[in-house]
Amino acid sequence: MTSGTGPRGRPGAGRGLPERGLLLLLVLVLLEGSVVFPLGAASSPDVDPRGHSEDRAVAEESQNYSKKAFPVLSLDYHHIHVPFEIALWVLLASLMKLGFHLIPRLSSIVPESCLLIVVGLLVGGFIKLAGEKVPPVLDSQSFFLCLLPPIILDAGYFLPIRPFMENLGTILMFAVVGTLWNAFFVGGLLYAVCQIQPGNPSDLHNLELLPCLLFASIISAVDPVAVLAVFEEIHINELLHILVFGESLLNDAVTVVLYHLFEEYSGAGTVTILDGVLGVISFLVVALGGVLVGAIYGFLAAFTSRFTSHVRVIEPLFVFVYSYMAYLSAEMFHLSGIMALIACGAVMRPYVEANISHKSHTTIKYFLKMWSSVSETLIFIFLGVATVDGPHSWNWTFVTVTVLLCLVSRVIGVIGLTFVINKFRIVKLTTKDQFIVAYGGLRGAIAFSLGFLLEEKHFPMRDMFLTAIITVIFFTVFVQGMTIKPLVELLAVKKKQEAKRTINEEIHTQFLDHLLTGIEDICGHYGHHHWKDKLNRINKKYVKKCLIADERGREPQLIAFYHKMEMKQAIELVESGGGFKPPSALPSTVSMQNIQPKKPAAAKPVQRALPQLPKGREEEIRTILRSNLQRTRQRLRSYNRHTLVADPYEEGFSDFIIKKQKIIELEKKIIHMNNLTLPAAPPDSPTLCRARLASGTETDFKPAQQQKGKQSSPDPQAYRPKRDSVPTIQVDLASPQSPDSVNLMDEFRANGSRREEEEDQGLTMRPRGEDGRREQLTRCLSDPGPSADEDEDEPFLP
Amino acid sequence: LAKSCPGQETVTLYLRGVALRGRRPRPAPPSTSPPPASTSHPIKQEDNLTETRLVSHSQITRLYSRFTSLDKGENGTLSREDFQRIPELAINPLGDRIINAFFPEGEDQVNFRGFMRILAHFRPIEDNEKKSVAVSEPLNSRTNKLLFAFRLYDLDRDDKISREELLQVLRMMVGVNISDDQLGSIADRTIQEADTNGDNSISFNEFIKVLEKVDVEQKMSIRFLH
Repeated sequence: MTSGTGPRGRPGAGRGLPERGLLLLLVLVLLEGSVVFPLGAASSPDVDPRGHSEDRAVAEESQNYSKKAFPVLSLDYHHIHVPFEIALWVLLASLMKLGFHLIPRLSSIVPESCLLIVVGLLVGGFIKLAGEKVPPVLDSQSFFLCLLPPIILDAGYFLPIRPFMENLGTILMFAVVGTLWNAFFVGGLLYAVCQIQPGNPSDLHNLELLPCLLFASIISAVDPVAVLAVFEEIHINELLHILVFGESLLNDAVTVVLYHLFEEYSGAGTVTILDGVLGVISFLVVALGGVLVGAIYGFLAAFTSRFTSHVRVIEPLFVFVYSYMAYLSAEMFHLSGIMALIACGAVMRPYVEANISHKSHTTIKYFLKMWSSVSETLIFIFLGVATVDGPHSWNWTFVTVTVLLCLVSRVIGVIGLTFVINKFRIVKLTTKDQFIVAYGGLRGAIAFSLGFLLEEKHFPMRDMFLTAIITVIFFTVFVQGMTIKPLVELLAVKKKQEAKRTINEEIHTQFLDHLLTGIEDICGHYGHHHWKDKLNRINKKYVKKCLIADERGREPQLIAFYHKMEMKQAIELVESGGGFKPPSALPSTVSMQNIQPKKPAAAKPVQRALPQLPKGREEEIRTILRSNLQRTRQRLRSYNRHTLVADPYEEGFSDFIIKKQKIIELEKKIIHMNNLTLPAAPPDSPTLCRARLASGTETDFKPAQQQKGKQSSPDPQAYRPKRDSVPTIQVDLASPQSPDSVNLMDEFRANGSRREEEEDQGLTMRPRGEDGRREQLTRCLSDPGPSADEDEDEPFLP
Repeated sequence: LAKSCPGQETVTLYLRGVALRGRRPRPAPPSTSPPPASTSHPIKQEDNLTETRLVSHSQITRLYSRFTSLDKGENGTLSREDFQRIPELAINPLGDRIINAFFPEGEDQVNFRGFMRILAHFRPIEDNEKKSVAVSEPLNSRTNKLLFAFRLYDLDRDDKISREELLQVLRMMVGVNISDDQLGSIADRTIQEADTNGDNSISFNEFIKVLEKVDVEQKMSIRFLH
């Protein structure tokens, strides 16, 4: 038992108490696990007869009692053993993850995937030593239905659409043509090698061509799990990342078709031209069908999310369930489940994120990361366990030739394809890029599971296949995985740029997009920009209206981006404590005025009774106040599993200057504004009572309203805005409700007719009449919406 | 090509120019306007097309046929109306500015040379060009591409993007629903970010610096203009 924790327990000198505690916990869990397994086999039959005999004895002794003695404490492992074991595995996986990060040096040299496989090997070894049968953990059912979908969904949901689409041609070339080339090259040469096996009439002679091709098609697909695991730690530039990763995702369709094709026909023994043609058609059906299924579910999810404003808590559930159903539906028809999942996530994301609340968005993000992280860890551990367990049949020739051929074919394939691709690319792929793409072609657990699925009776060579597959996986993950990081450093490959996008870049990029679209139109060339622009237009005109609730979707991307930047900066202002103290006069103005910054001004630009403080500034102030009570985090653009939060303090000097300027401006404006106050609501209005009582649940609402309540002297004489000209918001005072049910959304949603009127005018904020002043607060009071303080994420097709 | 369009002397001259002339050093980003757009003008001034002699024959042919199809008046030049007839340009927020970029100062017609000259900015950068140390800078170098974009912002040609010019562009791109104040804050922030010498406007160098992370070579290239 202790040998497992040995390597981790040795650097004990500088370890603090928490780490020791963790190691102790680790040991305990392992002990418990290994004790429980034999217990599971032994417990039930042993205990019960003993118990029964005892009871019988008791019953015999005391005949008055017709019932047996009540068992105060009994052990019944069998009852719970399945979920218990699952939970134990998950716990083990998570503790491993923790453990690795306690030893920084180790995790920087060896990628996590390797360590996890080693752990799996060890655990498998223990179980075998303990004499127990290793649970068939990586059977294809659990793998394909439970372990794989979270990882793919996580990848698909956070897929960076823009680089993906820009490089789609290249990615497809690598995925389809590259995989086909790999499969046929490896399969053909393997068959040839097996045939020319000298001397002893080994089993290799019996190996037909078709099983060879089947084996090759299993082994030739680049694995998304392994690629993700390794590439996330090396932080290469976005282009290479998306190339290799996109390839690993899209080659699933090819793999599925080839696998089924060869599996079907290796019984028959021959493949005709007709089968080949059917295979091609099947490929198109599988790929496009998968994408279609995914897109349909994606649109359904987006549409559903439009109506979830009343039941915010189950919003994440829709995302997960629809995606999972897309996967299962695709698998049902033998379409490509991975592509369905990717399509579903990518399609639904821009709309869902516009509809759901901020908290739901965080929930989705964290759940996806958590599940995919645990899944990945489990997969690698199980790989280790299955290696120890699996029936092996080692054949030197076969295995070494396989490994060699895989490498060679990958290199040749990449070089050849790049030569062709570069003719069509604007930014060519350099030799360094080609090397990384070739070297990054890792194989992983999908190959193993597909091999596991093979039936023994059709494929007598199954064990040999599995051994070879595992060897290739180990080789790629260990050797290539460990050495890719130093190689990246050595070759000085361009790394990922961590800097955030500035507003300059945003504006000018959009500008250039329009410019290029115009030039393309002048040339009459229907290129990339033309179609992107068209798609964007259709998206804006029809799709967004349908899928996004009310007016949230209509804000131009630039404005949304700008707001996010401003809010982020406001929060940072507070967090860095720039000596800024919001005076008491502020809250009233903020709460009375434009709480919803996305609502633009009235169509008549003249009636601006409070000209001093533009809406951006107001929003800033509001978020400063709110952030005192609720710390929020930025949203990352990347799908890095290890770091979910970017450090808000990595700003450069220029941002510091900007912040300082803002502080100064803000203070000037506040001083100016101190002369103006708007009438606050009377302290005992129903709204404020409600707000105060509900302050426990709605923390966002608290500061503004509470401050408003505390406003002792509203000083109404100072300023009276002209009622019919100032676009102000007043919280509805007219509908008393019980203090508990603060659902501000409901109140204002009821105002449906007004809303339509508003929509007609294209988001103008009209001044209201005297009596029933209602304004739509939409999400803002309970939830600032997903754009609150987060980084920009690309919309559908920016 | 020459035979099919007898009136187009400029085109034949192009081809000849392509074949015969060598590279002539071109001065730094030309502030002088290109020659007046008349068809019978002999090519004596700097022939920028020689810089882009790598534009292939087929490309010239294609663009020429596009030029003639746009030229409804059949007089060998394009006017603003010809451009405005393109439907997609009408809905492009920058449509007018792009059209104006084709017409040199004060001119109302653009001939094929002028047409090609502007389009030459959008050729992808070849690898060998990237590393070339030629004296003259080809039209499609990164700097010249950026200069073209800069000129679209900077209408009054004072080599600075002022706040008003930026506001105009923002207004065009964003639409009518956003308030002036919001746009003003955006413009202010943009200038704040980019401005290093404190003159409250963006000069060309600041513009280049701000876009150093953006892959301009890819963004400002049209694939078929190889």
